[in-house]
Amino acid sequence: MAAISRPGLWSDRRRFLTVALVPTFFFLACFYVYPTVFNLETSFTDMSLFGLRKGGDWVGIENYLEILASGDFRRVLWNTVIWLTLVGVGVRILLGLVLAFLLNSPVLKRWRLQTLARVLLIVPWATPPVVAIVVWRWLLDPRVGAINAALVSAGLVDQPIAFLAERLWVWPALITIITWNTLPLVTLTFMASLQSLPEELIEAARIDGASRWQQIRYVYLPHLKPAIIVMVLMSTFWTFNNFVYVWLVTGAGPGLYTNVMATEVYIQAFINGRFGFSAATGVIMATIMTVFGLIYLRFVAERELAEEQT
Amino acid sequence: MSPAFRLGAWLRIGLLGELAIVLVTLLVLFLLVYPTAWVILASFRTPETMFVAGRWAFTLDNYAKLLATGFWRNIANSLLLCLVSVLISTVLAVNAAYAFSRLRFPGKRSLFASVLFGQTFPWIVLVTPIFILCARLGLLNNPVSMIFVYVAVTLPFSIYLLVGYLRAVPRSLDEAAIIDGATQLQIVWRIVLPIMLPGIVATATYAFLLCWSEYLFALALLTQDELKTMPLALYAYFGENVTEWGSVMAASALTTLPTLLLFLPLQARMTSGLAAGSVKQ
Repeated sequence: MAAISRPGLWSDRRRFLTVALVPTFFFLACFYVYPTVFNLETSFTDMSLFGLRKGGDWVGIENYLEILASGDFRRVLWNTVIWLTLVGVGVRILLGLVLAFLLNSPVLKRWRLQTLARVLLIVPWATPPVVAIVVWRWLLDPRVGAINAALVSAGLVDQPIAFLAERLWVWPALITIITWNTLPLVTLTFMASLQSLPEELIEAARIDGASRWQQIRYVYLPHLKPAIIVMVLMSTFWTFNNFVYVWLVTGAGPGLYTNVMATEVYIQAFINGRFGFSAATGVIMATIMTVFGLIYLRFVAERELAEEQT
Repeated sequence: MSPAFRLGAWLRIGLLGELAIVLVTLLVLFLLVYPTAWVILASFRTPETMFVAGRWAFTLDNYAKLLATGFWRNIANSLLLCLVSVLISTVLAVNAAYAFSRLRFPGKRSLFASVLFGQTFPWIVLVTPIFILCARLGLLNNPVSMIFVYVAVTLPFSIYLLVGYLRAVPRSLDEAAIIDGATQLQIVWRIVLPIMLPGIVATATYAFLLCWSEYLFALALLTQDELKTMPLALYAYFGENVTEWGSVMAASALTTLPTLLLFLPLQARMTSGLAAGSVKQ
């Protein structure tokens, strides 16, 4: 575009850049940068609910030492990293891949089911998380829930299972709810990627005598790789950072058995009134996500920016 | 032309196999749709028959009761906050996305990187400081602070999506307009806007959904009942001991309906936009 020019173009561009970028970055700075700095500062104090206005006293790294020494925090870290993120994202990506292959199958096209499948696939995604949580808490309820009713009448269990109150079941139940609500986006992304795979590639692989697994391994998966990487990273942010599922489904319980970092930050601040301690937990959480964010920038932003530069 | 994972050919299966694929697909779709469909159907059943399979008593009482408790106010709050926030955020995002997509300026790479970085930052870490700051400034229970928050949370994603859509708009149009003497603002709002309107609508829809179902900031910043948004009010009906199932189901259905209606027609465009970054080679 540099070739195009006319008098006054550059001053007009400068004016436009000011109009276009200053308000946006004003919002982003007020919302992201300032609170982050404020949070960092708070994490070195003992600010309590009563000290909200005047601030707390400086305590140095005491909050961090307390966190690192506490066994509760190890539990919280384990829940967040292993259960919520690793298992949660892993299940979502695997099911998303399987479902994308299934729904892209030409069999469905022949049976004229493809459009119906796509429309119905949107439904869980279009259901707000709070509604999803409400209906799943009903489905899993030991007294009135449909799942227990079905299990009992099928003779699979004698007693209804309190899925959200028993340690054995609470994490699988949580993962089920999150997966149901977030699976469509992942599946649709993989379907879009599959549809951009040129037919000739598979044809060529078949002619070369590639077995089924070789086709998957050497044709489909390499083609899906960028989509898988982006979905893994994005799902990791959304899940690791998520507060509402764990808080509204289990309230971090039974006891604090399903407490994760997001609920820990909330509980320490708004339930226990320890704003300084909560801020320190938040700083640790933000640090972990910053590392992931840098990986994301490497994979996604580099590519976006490389294109925008041309 | 089609995609082509020929599952049938790949598994070398006959009609029986095809039937199996169709049945599995229908089962999966049933499991995916059942919870939401159940909420909507249950909202028209009396609380007495709601949990009894086979018994069905149609009623509008759930809705009447819900609205009588003042839920219409929560609907109005949600609509006002979401519509105003989405309007502001989309206008800002269109300008910013155009600048990132078409213009060269110093610091562009790091500014765009910081926008993308905003998507990855945990909101929960921002809630406490924003709560404290709002408390100090007397901005708790204030729609203005909520709108501010919702504009800020939707901006990064909107800019990211719009930059993707702008790639499909031919640059020759802007160039012709520049030669004709149009200013940059005129180019964006008179020439580029009509072409990328479908993309803008999809982006605004996505932003709307994000605000519509947002719970965390509303929970921290809105404590007065008459200011609460729909998700907050809905969860309040879902008490610890006595759950008002009739009201819960009606409120759930009302909360889901707008997003469902907005999402269905836009699904294809939405996913192609979201997938843009990941699909292209």
